[in-house]
Amino acid sequence: MAAPDMLDTVGERPGALARVRAGAAPFLRNRAFVTGAVLFGFIVFATAATPLLTDAAPNELSIRDRFQPPSLQFLLGTDNLGRDMLARVLYGARLSLGIGLSVVLINALLGVALGALAGYYSRLDDILMRIADALMAFPAVLLAIGIAAALGPSAVTAVVALSVVYVPRTARVVRSSVLVVRELDFVQAARAGGATDLRILRRHVLPNCLAPLIVQLSFVFAYAVLSEAVLSFLGLGAPPTVPSWGILISEGRAYLREAPWLTIVPGIAIAITALGLNLLGDGLRDVLDPRMKVEQG
Amino acid sequence: MIGYTLNRLLQAIPVLFLVSLFAFGIIYLIPGDAATVIGGPTATAADLEQIRRNLGLDQPFHVQILTFYTNLFQGDLGRSLLLGIPVTEALIQRSPITVGIAIYSLAITIVFGLITGIVAALNHNKWLDQAATLFALVGVSLPNFWLALVMIVIFSVYLGWLPTGGYVPFTEDPVGWLRTTTMPAVALALLQAGLLTRITRSTMLEVLGQDYIRTARAKGLSEWQVIGQHALANVMMPVVTVMGLILSVLLSGSIIIETIFGVPGIGALMGNAIMSRDYPMVQGGLFFITAALLLLNIVIDVLYTWLDPRIRVKGGD
Amino acid sequence: MKVDRTKTILTSSIAAGALLVATSALAEPFECPNVGGELIVGLQAGVPSLDQQTNTSSATRNVAMNVYETLVIRDENMNPVPDLAESIEVSEDGLSYTFRLRDGVKFHNGEPMTSADVAASYQRYKDIGFNRSVLDIVAGWETPDDSTFVITLSEPQPTFIENLSSYTVPIVIMPEEEAGKPANQVDIIGTGPFSFVEFVPDSHVLLERYEDYQPNNTLDGVSGFAGRKQACVDTVRFRMLTESGARMAALETGEAHIVEDVPTISQERLAETEGVELVRLENWGLNIGYPNFSFPPTDNEKVRQAMVAAMDMEEIMDAATDGAYKLNGALQFPGQAYFSEAGTEWYNQADPERARQLLEEGGYDGEPIILLTNQQFPFMYNTSVVMNEQLKAAGMNSELRVLDWPTALATSEQETEGWNFFYTGWITVVAQGGPTTLRNLADPNNVHKPKDNTGNPDFNAQFEIVENGQTLEERQAAFAEAQRIALETVMVIPFGILPSTQGIRSNVENYKPFYNTRVSNVWLEQ
Repeated sequence: MAAPDMLDTVGERPGALARVRAGAAPFLRNRAFVTGAVLFGFIVFATAATPLLTDAAPNELSIRDRFQPPSLQFLLGTDNLGRDMLARVLYGARLSLGIGLSVVLINALLGVALGALAGYYSRLDDILMRIADALMAFPAVLLAIGIAAALGPSAVTAVVALSVVYVPRTARVVRSSVLVVRELDFVQAARAGGATDLRILRRHVLPNCLAPLIVQLSFVFAYAVLSEAVLSFLGLGAPPTVPSWGILISEGRAYLREAPWLTIVPGIAIAITALGLNLLGDGLRDVLDPRMKVEQG
Repeated sequence: MIGYTLNRLLQAIPVLFLVSLFAFGIIYLIPGDAATVIGGPTATAADLEQIRRNLGLDQPFHVQILTFYTNLFQGDLGRSLLLGIPVTEALIQRSPITVGIAIYSLAITIVFGLITGIVAALNHNKWLDQAATLFALVGVSLPNFWLALVMIVIFSVYLGWLPTGGYVPFTEDPVGWLRTTTMPAVALALLQAGLLTRITRSTMLEVLGQDYIRTARAKGLSEWQVIGQHALANVMMPVVTVMGLILSVLLSGSIIIETIFGVPGIGALMGNAIMSRDYPMVQGGLFFITAALLLLNIVIDVLYTWLDPRIRVKGGD
Repeated sequence: MKVDRTKTILTSSIAAGALLVATSALAEPFECPNVGGELIVGLQAGVPSLDQQTNTSSATRNVAMNVYETLVIRDENMNPVPDLAESIEVSEDGLSYTFRLRDGVKFHNGEPMTSADVAASYQRYKDIGFNRSVLDIVAGWETPDDSTFVITLSEPQPTFIENLSSYTVPIVIMPEEEAGKPANQVDIIGTGPFSFVEFVPDSHVLLERYEDYQPNNTLDGVSGFAGRKQACVDTVRFRMLTESGARMAALETGEAHIVEDVPTISQERLAETEGVELVRLENWGLNIGYPNFSFPPTDNEKVRQAMVAAMDMEEIMDAATDGAYKLNGALQFPGQAYFSEAGTEWYNQADPERARQLLEEGGYDGEPIILLTNQQFPFMYNTSVVMNEQLKAAGMNSELRVLDWPTALATSEQETEGWNFFYTGWITVVAQGGPTTLRNLADPNNVHKPKDNTGNPDFNAQFEIVENGQTLEERQAAFAEAQRIALETVMVIPFGILPSTQGIRSNVENYKPFYNTRVSNVWLEQ
């Protein structure tokens, strides 16, 4: 929404938009952030505008049209049952991104709550961090596969499994920020001023943990999309009735040699999404990371 | 130092206990059981009952968990249902294969990760930085199982340079080992190399902005001396700490990569065990791998504390 | 043990087997034209274990049946023939079977095979063997001397030898000391033409020629799992190449000489690839599924019949196999002894209107029809996807429930709710003939989950005759009637025949596709 000329016209009135402009400027100057935003924005746009981009239904069979290479009629070709790959990749994005987003939201809620508790109350810290240590001690994907296999394949399973894997990591990030912020002068001052713990956490501590949290969440999103693909590839993610990208790769790999587009296209979709999110995360870190600010200032 | 080490080991005990509890518990959530897998589609209910009895799966939960811990304390992780050999034996047989590939992969990771990371940091915001960063990001963003499939098509089918899969032990034929492990190692390394590039780059940038580097520069030391004597040593620290993480990610990745390339390592072992509900194998494997990583991380942390740059900086300047 | 007036059975099938070999232009006993080299076989599935008595997996048989032998096994046409036995005699009262063992047979550990080893192996099978119900009818056995093994039945069973020779989980003979070991813990020691060298799970199994192998000379060459087997290559390496792309690449690059299961889409290209040949087993298995009689709406016969009416089998099989299939509505392959067309008039109706009418008659009210499928076996998954669309088009509220194969299988076996139709494949059971095929649908197996696990009494009566009828004609007639009942009441829905295409390098000679991989009498041209 921040087209430069539009910002210029409102520039004379110092108000909200100007503040947005001033705030946005360092982001817009950051090449990683902009590239990431464009890539991820492209994926989000394609996901949201799917019905405008294709008439085909993702599960519509047309056995006679199977294994059509990409052409004007089928932009991304067709699969072994003659289903339109463009539609399948676009509709697949909903599930892949949906699972990623769910994991991010759960991470934001649980990760912040647990991280803040652990960081602020040293008595809880020991217990919470031992549990986090235990969960983080497992190799991430191995644990996710174990949980997913235990719960049976479904989209919810994938979200639960990936949340169990990543929430402890997010909580750790939040906790270490809280540990630092907690000792800062203005927090000590607030405490001396008789502010309640909740108020200190809410007003002083958490806002100062936001930067590393946002950076962490953008990476969690990227990892979640990648890990979801791994689970689906193994048949442990969402059921394939509305396919995710991992399922598309898994289904396509049997035809890798003769119909490579079935495997390559969803792989590239995953790569663009993860790349976009990683770039966003990098850009955010460059701009938001307090240590960098210190360096610049 | 010894106190710290002991302290870390003591702290690891409750974690290990929780890990063992998770490992034991996770498998009991699984619907379906080993008997149906072993029995196959034509098994009758009576057959399944017999298989369960043979395997001890008909015991009540508390008996099974008691047996699990009694055996665990004796270093016995049970016997694999499908392989018919003790779990520890299976793990010991397979470990060298996965560890070998992990070391190979780690070598690729470190060489690529450190070089690109340092080059990127030294050329901060120049095109080399952008290129290295992009490479790192692409590495982190590609699904490695997808990359493995694409590599097979390119390097085995079209170019015919490397075999499509399989494994030749290093001791039998080092060249054969290299030929069979290169694609798995590269597929596994790409993600790690990307990770390490990013960490190296950001650490390097941070280090380069530190006062003591400025001091060193102000003293008139050449750029290479600055980097060689101060920056590099400090960059190694976070690299050492992420080593545990990298190994952990390598083991995770090996489940799919070893299956795709037909490498009979721990990853394939665990993947099959999970898919075929080989309870003792999954429990024992999860515990063994995680305990090993945990101890490895303690070793790394102890090393890290020992080498802590802040201590050295304080002592030096 | 009195064997008075004995008569030799199996004469007819031995004659048939000999005839088959004779007509296949092998006039004299097979000798390897070329000896040496390593044969590499690319398996499509991992070998879980080589304990042949306790594993049903096809991958186990592919390897282990080159190492182990049985007293009696099936030939190329699925008729029982002696293998380690030289002759089998049955007493007049049909209660005692006398097996004379071949002379000079030695185990791979160098020890001679005696009747004590046979008795111990049978005891192990009776205790932990997978299909041990086959031995339920056995009252006992004796070993009058080192080369004689006598089985006594508690009552006569005309199909006893047929059951005994079933090869889904064959009763292989191992040394007495191995037979005392629990499942999956035996050392792999058999009497076959190849001996075991090493097994690296998830990687490969290595076998080598057994120099002291004593072949069975009743046939001139290999027939089924029996006959005159010779190891022409020095070693055989079975590599587990589960990724089909990698397996095909291994064939193309020559890393493997024989690969299982060539995908249809790759066949055209591979057929034109120099140095590669394709061999096909037309009747590999039946693509099949069965409804759940205990869970609405498939407890309603009209609904089940509506499902059958709605289905266009050509489209289903086309999708299931990527275009390589044969339609077949019977529960046996054409040409098999028990093949019958009874009841096949309901097959491949592709008549959604008729389906709607049946639904109305059955009072179908839009209840969900849950199709329980999996993705590990693509033919099952593709079948379910197309069938789902066809049922919907005929007004049924069907939906897919996709689980992983072990879970789906366990659900179909243990749950009577939450699923309406289960997809599977009848691969070896059909090839083994009528009794084996129908056993799944009869009491007490009843894969279709009839209420109280009590199946259709008429069907069970016919199955009883299929198992125990005195003459083949009697058994065939009963099979036809049983099949008619099964198809009319929709205890099972056969979709069609799945072929199996294997790829071989052109320097591989005399390789014949079978339900399992046989590496005897196969040689490599230099």
